[in-house]
Amino acid sequence: MKIFSIILMVISPTAALAAWETNMPRGVTPTSEIAYDLHMLIFYITVVIGILVFGAMLYSIIYHRKSLGHKPASFHESTKVEIIWTVIPFIILVGMAVPATKALILMEDTRDSEITLKVTGYQWMWQYEYLEDSVSFFSKIDNESNVARRLDSGVDVTGVDHYLRNVDNVVVLPTNTKVRILLTASDVIHAWWVPELGGKKDAIPGYINEMWVDIKEPGVYRGQCAELCGKDHGFMPIVVKAVPKNEYYKWVSIQKSNKVAITK
Amino acid sequence: MSANIDKLHDDHSHTPTGIMRWITTTNHKDIGTMYLWFSLIMFFIGGLMALVIRAELFQPGLQLVVPGFFNQMTTMHALVMIFGAVMPAFVGLANWQIPIMIGAPDMALPRLNNWSFWILPFAFTMMLSTLFFESGGPAAGWTLYPPLSLQGGDSMPFVILSIHLLGLSSILGAINVIATILNMRAPGMTLMKMPIFVWTWLITAFLLIASMPVLAGAITMLLTDRFFGTSFFTASGGGDPVLFQHIFWFFGHPEVYILILPAFGIVSTIIPAFSRKKLFGYDSMVYATASIALLSFIVWAHHMFTVGMPLAGELFFMFTTMLIAVPTGVKVFNWVATMWRGSMTFETPMLFAIAFIVLFTVGGFSGLMLAMVPADFQYHDTYFVVAHFHYVLVPGAVFAIIAAVYYWLPKWTGKMYNESLGKLHFWLTTFFVNLTFFPMHFVGLAGMPRRIPDYAVQFADFNAIASVGAFGFGLSQLLFVYILYNALKQRVTAEDKCWEGAEGLEWTLSSPPPYHSFEKAPKID
Amino acid sequence: MKNFKNIYLSLTLFAVFMFSFSYMLVPLYDIFCEITGLNGKTNQEKVMNINENPTERFIRVKFTSTIANSAPFIFEPVDREMTVQIGKIYNTFYTLTNNSNSLKHATASPSVVPSEDAEYFKKIECFCFSQQEINGLETKELPLQFIIDDDLPSDTKTLILSYTMFNTTDQIGSNLEK
Repeated sequence: MKIFSIILMVISPTAALAAWETNMPRGVTPTSEIAYDLHMLIFYITVVIGILVFGAMLYSIIYHRKSLGHKPASFHESTKVEIIWTVIPFIILVGMAVPATKALILMEDTRDSEITLKVTGYQWMWQYEYLEDSVSFFSKIDNESNVARRLDSGVDVTGVDHYLRNVDNVVVLPTNTKVRILLTASDVIHAWWVPELGGKKDAIPGYINEMWVDIKEPGVYRGQCAELCGKDHGFMPIVVKAVPKNEYYKWVSIQKSNKVAITK
Repeated sequence: MSANIDKLHDDHSHTPTGIMRWITTTNHKDIGTMYLWFSLIMFFIGGLMALVIRAELFQPGLQLVVPGFFNQMTTMHALVMIFGAVMPAFVGLANWQIPIMIGAPDMALPRLNNWSFWILPFAFTMMLSTLFFESGGPAAGWTLYPPLSLQGGDSMPFVILSIHLLGLSSILGAINVIATILNMRAPGMTLMKMPIFVWTWLITAFLLIASMPVLAGAITMLLTDRFFGTSFFTASGGGDPVLFQHIFWFFGHPEVYILILPAFGIVSTIIPAFSRKKLFGYDSMVYATASIALLSFIVWAHHMFTVGMPLAGELFFMFTTMLIAVPTGVKVFNWVATMWRGSMTFETPMLFAIAFIVLFTVGGFSGLMLAMVPADFQYHDTYFVVAHFHYVLVPGAVFAIIAAVYYWLPKWTGKMYNESLGKLHFWLTTFFVNLTFFPMHFVGLAGMPRRIPDYAVQFADFNAIASVGAFGFGLSQLLFVYILYNALKQRVTAEDKCWEGAEGLEWTLSSPPPYHSFEKAPKID
Repeated sequence: MKNFKNIYLSLTLFAVFMFSFSYMLVPLYDIFCEITGLNGKTNQEKVMNINENPTERFIRVKFTSTIANSAPFIFEPVDREMTVQIGKIYNTFYTLTNNSNSLKHATASPSVVPSEDAEYFKKIECFCFSQQEINGLETKELPLQFIIDDDLPSDTKTLILSYTMFNTTDQIGSNLEK
């Protein structure tokens, strides 16, 4: 009986969606892993500093109170102490800056990419163009979510498949391939973000930005627009399906032969 | 000077009463009172908008509002809270406290002081009225990024005009503050003998004059781009939407220090009073505040790490942003050192001040995390950022303002508030503020973007908690209003020195002080 | 009494200065970018006096296009990718079709990645320098002549040039409300 209920819990949609998640995903790319590792490092450092500072405060609150008869000391300055607690934090910051700088240089290096995906943000959907293969299509929120999200739709959204994070046409990318992603927009500023792929860049009309991903594990990765772009900013999700290289090339040739109709 | 004051004094038999008193007053105490009441009203208006937001976000799916209106709520909530609640509250405290802390009879320009205040209700009536326009109020976020803000409806020119007026009010107020502090201190009160609250306001006033005009320039460029054919921010005309972001945040970053430096001054006043021990490192605190103010001009692009800046730019702003943690940390250490081996009691102002130190520091930690660019790529435009700034602004700036009101209310009014109720207000507020904003760290890290009216189901649980917290927080502030009402109807008059450990010239005056105080400068030893 | 008037005057001047500073930021950014080389943008005006100086080095140049704000255009590069010898002049075209029935004005805005290499992509002849007039249902060929400067950093192997085509028929009063 217990096993049955555990199985039920595991296969039910809400359990699979990892509710109560408190942390960033480590993700499946070198960039997502760098971001995660740096995030955790700084987090641990701040926890230690917090324990020290708040610990001192707590001790003081408990023992240095008038109700216990504690009389106030009269010291009120010390140049030595000021220097110490200026220099030590500075050194800690330098210690943080070194890995952060290394990480950033790596993240901004788009050289030697194998394929280029151009992402164009629209109000309120994405357009994807595989530059080397001239495959191009629009991707918008899938119909089930789009109907359910309307005010007074009457639909229970918890029953919708990947509510607000499902699209009609997914982006297929090959694993273990450095993919350069170009970002631009047609109307206002958007931002393309898939947490598990790491990195986020704004999509700015009239200009192109670039970032890179190298997806190490096949799977489906979901994200959202991350720059306020108007009323349906919350309703233009991103779905990336990462597959092994040969599967990717098969998919590309199907797209080319279909010449998937571009409809808004 | 004193001859003029005597003449004015005689004229009091002819000063208007009733509503005309408040419209025409040039008295810093009256004007301070008006700023503070205005701020409280705006705090509730902004709070109501927050509750619309949190009510909609209580559950996944759209239950209450359409997405376009939701965006108006997030935009207006920020504009109202920043420009209508926090800034006017600090100006109100400046008006009340600066003259009586430095032994001056009033502010340097009393009539300009009156105008600076009355601009505010006018400007906010205009701004809030846009919510009732057919095309609705502004919905591009308080940051007004183009091209989105250029798509706005009829509200845009009105919002821009009201922001211009608010900026004017702030700049005029700042000039008044600086002139008062530099020129009207009682003889013997050198700059390094001034109360620390006065120092923080002196520095804040310089920040205001340096930054508000830059905002004025940025929004004027938006206006001309929309209506007069310029193309500062459109690529087709050779412009760049990112230019707006640079100009806006050049204002925007000093602005957030404007929102916190007076709070630092308040906490630096209250902690020593209730520790019965002098502020540790007064000189350091002054230098740290000045360093923060100077550094605040070279960190702005940390709000823009994802726009596609060159690597050198990203590194520069990452380093300067990390650097600003140093003087901020120095201040926190100095407060703890003030408490250390003091003789503390924990009346309501002290409770809020201690909570400020802890919770502002939590906000500072998330700020440090945000400074690290590779990680920021995952935090930017998510609820992690929302959590960060609400921690530094709510249990940060707002707690300091509340602490200041509890601390100085008996001085201003001669009435003491009910201490048990004050403590209850504190505990409820602190509990609910954390219930509201702490879960936002989690959903942000888990992938929830900001400025969305609806979210994927995995974010539901923490959002529900945050919404419950928000309503609890809002209701707890009604208790604060009751506490004020209850205090004001007391008949017992408070003493001159309302708090055993309080230091400063204001405590030599009666509670309440005379309408005109320090007409003759006091002696400073 | 103390110098009140001086304080008022200097603070007011300071405020006025900061207002004009925000406008000064517009050209200051361009100057800063030029001085530091953190350019990110290709030349906005024609380059004069170009000397061909072909080197041994080849890179890939890709061309892409975007249409802004649902303008009624079709806008595509004729060459999607070229193998380009550094220091040699090349010619290519973009085609612009006006899908509407009426005369339109169109303006293109260029952008190059990697942005730190943008300054080495030198446009000699470019339709992006001027507004295009195009009749209803007309198709035009828009020429682009360029050269890659041989100061291009040695580890750059690919440059991507993007044009965004805007409908600038209605110059005053910008985008339609959505």
